[in-house]
Amino acid sequence: MYKRPNLYTSYEAETQILPTWTQKVLMALFVLSLFLLPFQIPVFNDDIPGLSWLPIIGDGMPLFRFLGDGDWIRSTTTVLMLVVAALGLNLLSGVAGQVSLGHAFFMGVGAVTATYLGAESGSQTWGHSLPIWIWLPGAGIAAALVGMLVSPVAVRLRGLYLAIVTLGLVFVGVHMGNTTWGRKMAGPPALGRKAPKLDIRLWKEETPLIDISHDGHWLWFDVTDNQKRYFMYLIIAIGFTLLAKNIVRSRTGRALQAIRDRDIAAEVMGIAEFRYKVVAFAISSFFAGIAGALFVGLSGQVLATDFGLFLSVEFIAILLIGGAGTTSGALIGTFFVVMIPHFVEEFTVWLGKQESGLTGTFSDAILTSGGDQGIINTSTVTPGWTLSVFDWNIVLFGVLIIAFLIFEPLGLYGVWVRTRNYWKRWPFSY
Amino acid sequence: MRRLRWLLAILLAFSLIAAACGDDSDSSTDTAADDTAADDTAADDTAADDTAAADDAMADDAMAEMITGPGVDAENHVIRIGLNADLSGTFAALTTVIVEGQLAFWERVNAEGGIDGWTIEPVVLDNAYDVPTHLENYDKFSGDGDQSVVLLSNSTGSPHTAAIAEALVEDDMMAIPLSWYSGWADPSIGQNVFEVQANYCVEAMNGVTYMSEQHGNKIAIVGFPGDYGEDGALGAKLAAEALGLEIVYDGQAQVIPGADQTPVTTAIAESGADFVWLTTGPTQTAEIVGGAVGAGYTGQWSGNSPSWNPALLGTPLAEVFDASYTHSTYSVLWGIGDSPGMNDLISTMQEYRPDAKADDVYIISWIEGLIAQQTLAQAISNGDISRAGVLAAANEITVDLMGLAPDQNWGGDPNDSVVRGTFLYDVDASLFTPDGLVTDADANRGYTLLEGDYVSPTAEAWQYEPCFKAS
Repeated sequence: MYKRPNLYTSYEAETQILPTWTQKVLMALFVLSLFLLPFQIPVFNDDIPGLSWLPIIGDGMPLFRFLGDGDWIRSTTTVLMLVVAALGLNLLSGVAGQVSLGHAFFMGVGAVTATYLGAESGSQTWGHSLPIWIWLPGAGIAAALVGMLVSPVAVRLRGLYLAIVTLGLVFVGVHMGNTTWGRKMAGPPALGRKAPKLDIRLWKEETPLIDISHDGHWLWFDVTDNQKRYFMYLIIAIGFTLLAKNIVRSRTGRALQAIRDRDIAAEVMGIAEFRYKVVAFAISSFFAGIAGALFVGLSGQVLATDFGLFLSVEFIAILLIGGAGTTSGALIGTFFVVMIPHFVEEFTVWLGKQESGLTGTFSDAILTSGGDQGIINTSTVTPGWTLSVFDWNIVLFGVLIIAFLIFEPLGLYGVWVRTRNYWKRWPFSY
Repeated sequence: MRRLRWLLAILLAFSLIAAACGDDSDSSTDTAADDTAADDTAADDTAADDTAAADDAMADDAMAEMITGPGVDAENHVIRIGLNADLSGTFAALTTVIVEGQLAFWERVNAEGGIDGWTIEPVVLDNAYDVPTHLENYDKFSGDGDQSVVLLSNSTGSPHTAAIAEALVEDDMMAIPLSWYSGWADPSIGQNVFEVQANYCVEAMNGVTYMSEQHGNKIAIVGFPGDYGEDGALGAKLAAEALGLEIVYDGQAQVIPGADQTPVTTAIAESGADFVWLTTGPTQTAEIVGGAVGAGYTGQWSGNSPSWNPALLGTPLAEVFDASYTHSTYSVLWGIGDSPGMNDLISTMQEYRPDAKADDVYIISWIEGLIAQQTLAQAISNGDISRAGVLAAANEITVDLMGLAPDQNWGGDPNDSVVRGTFLYDVDASLFTPDGLVTDADANRGYTLLEGDYVSPTAEAWQYEPCFKAS
């Protein structure tokens, strides 16, 4: 009986995050590789004879550097930052079924709180220069409190109506950034203010305990400020992933899922609907608040308009493409939504350099610098048709959201599950 | 209990790691020193390579002694410069044209033998008018890869440029902002941000002074919130105060893009102002002028440069603009005057971009290009084209803008170096050739020059400090 798949003899065994040893080992290796990602660990460092025509591999193949070098590390850090927010929205919309378009607003609350607590004050701005262990949790708590204030609306409204109300929050937030108090906290509109530094200090002392914002030397490695920030965000993201996963399989998580599936039925079973909706909003906003603080920590500049409708829509894309209701879906979705535009851009740049052979013909067919038949415009003057690669990226997301909603409501996670099940049963298809 | 122990163990592990990083500041200085040492050797190497190359090519002692760094391909005599520009965001329609103009500028420079034998390679990255993207691009520019550069000849956007301002100082890199915020000249805001031409605040002082001399002393001030809108509004107020004008409507920060402008237009119509000073965008200018004229306002209009776009002459309001709009800006405009800079610009565009439409923003391309070109020329003659060397060169020189705009320097006290002259134009719809190409001799964007370079007494007497304080 031991080691038979899908046979569980206890509830504990069934709710384990990683039920098998294979999964545990693979996950450990995956996390290890995430930590090694920013370092140049070579497989082949030089040109590989005979394979030089292959992109990436031909130029020598680093094992982990691919997404960790200077050009990519900010994007990978962005993924880690948005993962925290996406996990929060997944708990609210995916697990508890409360559609929210206002996630960017809660991120904004976190960002502004973090700045208010952590940044220096000036003649036009408020700030308290408090250390990160106050402003980071403070950002989450402030956002959670605002989330709790909003949550009673969710008890009265469902579905589309709730979506519209939460959508309104985004506009309220951007407008509040323009009020006198908003300016004092978020900095002047259109220019913004400096975000607090990520350095870890005990209090307001000169030399930080751990210096994140300068290049330095950790253990055996020389690390740049970007790498340091990556590690910091990675640890936070792993922590929040575990937290999210554990909330889902706790009493609270089960209550939220019951409310999602049918709120009246859940109430009949003795689940306090009001209380759990408040809890759902509070937890989700807490995640968003932390992510908002990390957002300004990454960009260095606080701008109220950054937390607008577009960011909220990006989260919807993350949930729908990744697969709503699953923690893995939120992770995969974030990676996909943040990285795909970069891959497409890099691919276009690479394609633009191809002049002969098969790739050259392909390049001629789809790229244009004006005039010929291609659909991707590579010249710098692009407004209007044909679209540039950046505009195509936006189109791509619209198409992907529609396609996933129609063909694969479970998102990329669903694709993965189906692929896995196919190979599990191979060669038998059922 | 067992879980608690695990948690403690993990915490302990982290505190150990933290302790290992504790002497960070010391070791970071060490590595920094090592790095410079390594850079020096690298520089020596390239110098050695150069000497080798010089044997079979031309023997050039200056080249061999040249101090280089990231952004320079010493072997091929290439210097890379960066444009962190908005090609797909809010201001793409404007910035793409500026970038195209600057590319033409460098094509011409390179075709004429480059700068002292060095070819200039512009690297253009799209910031999509988004701060995180701007920073991502900056990492590429400031690194040492094949997109590394020695200077940024265009950094689009105020918050974006502010976000990289500190890093610019750390990297010893100069950047030319596409933003006329009055704070850039303040070293505490933008030490390595080399502002070009007059700022929004000075522009408003000059504009308001000129308008009050022509049209009367009752002024309405209207603008966006933020560094642009309020810089302009505050400049207008400084001039109004100095000249004893009556501010009949104060609409500073009252124009929110996308919102209903009726409160503003009603207030203008009811104020009885002789003229209105706008610090908005062209779309809002059309909304506000249309609304106020509809509500019975009959006075004059002027505003900061970005409030106006000749395309407004293609709207039903063309007659109103023709009769009552005065355009203020920082330079001479397309085809106006006979300065060497204008002739150079027009002949280059005719040769390298004959299909392009005549556009005033090419003057911005040229000014950015001229600053970068003369800075690099100075750096080359100083024998140091590393980022720090280029930065030092920029602080040494006075850039000759060839009559396109007042010449400019940056070293020393900002009160001495800040540009105070602007240009005022009458908008004339009958001159406007909407489809005029750079090759058309009579291409005009609808302007006749009224005053320029014009320095008002208020601007002359102004003690420099940022008008709109950000922090």
